[in-house]
Amino acid sequence: MGFQLILDGEEHDVAIVRRRPHLVLRIDGIEHEFSEIGGPGDGLHALKSGKHPIDFIRASDNERQIIRLGGRTFEVDHIDPFSEGMESGGNKDAVRSPMPGTVVSIQCKEGDTVVRGTPLVTIESMKLQTVLSAMREGTVAEILRVEGETFEKDAIIVMLEPETEKA
Amino acid sequence: MGDAGWSVGRLAERGHHMSNPLFNKVLVANRGEIACRIMRTLSQMGISTVAIYHAAETKARHVQMADKAVEIYGETPVAAHLDMGQIIEIARNLEVDAIHPGYGFLSENANFAAAVADAGMTFIGPDAETIALMGDKISARNFAEKHNVAVAPSVMPTDDLDDFIEKAAGIGYPLLIKAAAGGGGKGMSIVREAAALVEAARVASSEALRYFGDGRVYAETYVDHPRHIEVQVLGDGKGGAIHLFERECSVQRRFQKIIEEAPAPNLSAELRDEICTSATRLAAAANYKNAGTVEYILGADGRFFFLEMNTRLQVEHPVTEMITGIDLVRAQIEIAAGKGLPLPQSEVRTSGHAVECRICAENPEQDFMPETGVVRHLGVPEAEWLRFENALTHGQKITADFDPMLAKLVAHGPNRDAAIERSIAALGELALLGVKTNIDYLARLINHDAFRAAELHTGFIAQHRDDLAPKALNETERAQILAAAFLGFRQTRDLIVGTPEPHAAIGGWRN
Repeated sequence: MGFQLILDGEEHDVAIVRRRPHLVLRIDGIEHEFSEIGGPGDGLHALKSGKHPIDFIRASDNERQIIRLGGRTFEVDHIDPFSEGMESGGNKDAVRSPMPGTVVSIQCKEGDTVVRGTPLVTIESMKLQTVLSAMREGTVAEILRVEGETFEKDAIIVMLEPETEKA
Repeated sequence: MGDAGWSVGRLAERGHHMSNPLFNKVLVANRGEIACRIMRTLSQMGISTVAIYHAAETKARHVQMADKAVEIYGETPVAAHLDMGQIIEIARNLEVDAIHPGYGFLSENANFAAAVADAGMTFIGPDAETIALMGDKISARNFAEKHNVAVAPSVMPTDDLDDFIEKAAGIGYPLLIKAAAGGGGKGMSIVREAAALVEAARVASSEALRYFGDGRVYAETYVDHPRHIEVQVLGDGKGGAIHLFERECSVQRRFQKIIEEAPAPNLSAELRDEICTSATRLAAAANYKNAGTVEYILGADGRFFFLEMNTRLQVEHPVTEMITGIDLVRAQIEIAAGKGLPLPQSEVRTSGHAVECRICAENPEQDFMPETGVVRHLGVPEAEWLRFENALTHGQKITADFDPMLAKLVAHGPNRDAAIERSIAALGELALLGVKTNIDYLARLINHDAFRAAELHTGFIAQHRDDLAPKALNETERAQILAAAFLGFRQTRDLIVGTPEPHAAIGGWRN
């Protein structure tokens, strides 16, 4: 197992196979040889795999590399194996805010039965109000914020009861 | 030459009366790209500039650009920028002659315009009465109707929500609900069925109350597949008014424009003339003084209705500047100084086509939700046909404190196709890393066949949602991106260039 990276929500595995004469990386099980790897750090670099060099721009932000290649920008995150697991818990039950903001009003209460799309909380960010809705059928377990409270991006606003196994 | 008709050189040419500037000192009551853009013209005109800033933006570009910058205080950065008393006090202390409000913030606040005048300074904009007249959708609508400018069937506003809901239900669906005092898409929604009316009215009213201190809401017939066409006008305050032709601003998300162009494509000469003339008529009737924009909704059947008049410089003003060669900020300043209109209607000419893309910190794949981050890399394409209006600096934090619009990329070409090609190329070269933006989305959008064919309406983004999603990566592309990222981590870099071969193969990523 090599280095775990996340691109577009999917996990990928990158490992060094050889360093000389050229760098060979195994990316998701397939070997790629690079005759040019570009300089270290942020900025404009070129990769060469095969005949043609590919220009790209890279900027790093902690455990994230932002890559602009072929006129598109991608965020690639490194999964730190020692902190993994912290984030995965409760994902299916948590209603998170996609952006930082403030709670404007709460349309549900604990114990409410909801279906997919039921409005739960109205939030406001950058002068826009948005309704956070239930992402699945279930029961409201806990409302973690009160009206007027501010929160960061990805903050959990409402928790649903864990899904029970149905026959 | 055609193509270079709008160039910055030409915009600057007209400004060589440095010896006797129209004002000695102007305070720009704004921030970001628009503050920088206004100061650029002020400097060209030999006018000294004053910037204001909150502690959250001490290193901002507009602060560095100004001849003098003064800190303003407030509970939030936005509150500081809305603090009229404080801003007027600063202007007085610095013996400022005039205040330019930019767009947003205090630009359409009649009380501010009045307070500036009361303090003995010039407000670069219309007088308070005109702002109040046009700022209220109802009085603006009544005024338009009185002067033969068509308006859509509607329900008059009220703060009695139950009464409003009853009347709104009476005119049928679809309905557009708006804040009476609103703007910028706040407090607006489309209601397509009776069941959704009550909640939509409640949200609109509460947003209206929060943002404008006025909870009255208003509803009107919603025109399906409408185009948003607006006309740039200039008025001298004495009944003289001209138009600088129209802009097409139909491509919107969350009721806010993201792509604007001038002139509007697929508009017959007769209809263009009819719309532009009605805008001039409105401005002249109001004795309008300043640059202003009269907005219309245009149906597929060619009927057009007055929407509102914005009594300020518009975000998308550069597309008009690029096709007419007229510096709108200079025109505002000259008008405010009593110099009148820059040229008669008969001399207004256009050359080519211009497209503006609004670069926003947002995620198009998540319903255009605002994003935050830090500017880690900024690479800007340069060409004589491009304007990149921005105030970005390396290391700048992009927070939720201000509007998510970061910059505007404006491209001019001899015709629409050329302007589109140049925009696509420039968007591809534009690199803004560290915060998610809509840059790549905009490139896909203007490259879409329907956009190229000018099949535009305000539902364009919703209609073409699937086509506008990013293309899936192939294996080669994915490998290149992953390799480029892999090579950026210090720990992997050290392994590649630093450690002996056997260790590299073992792994040991964490020290």
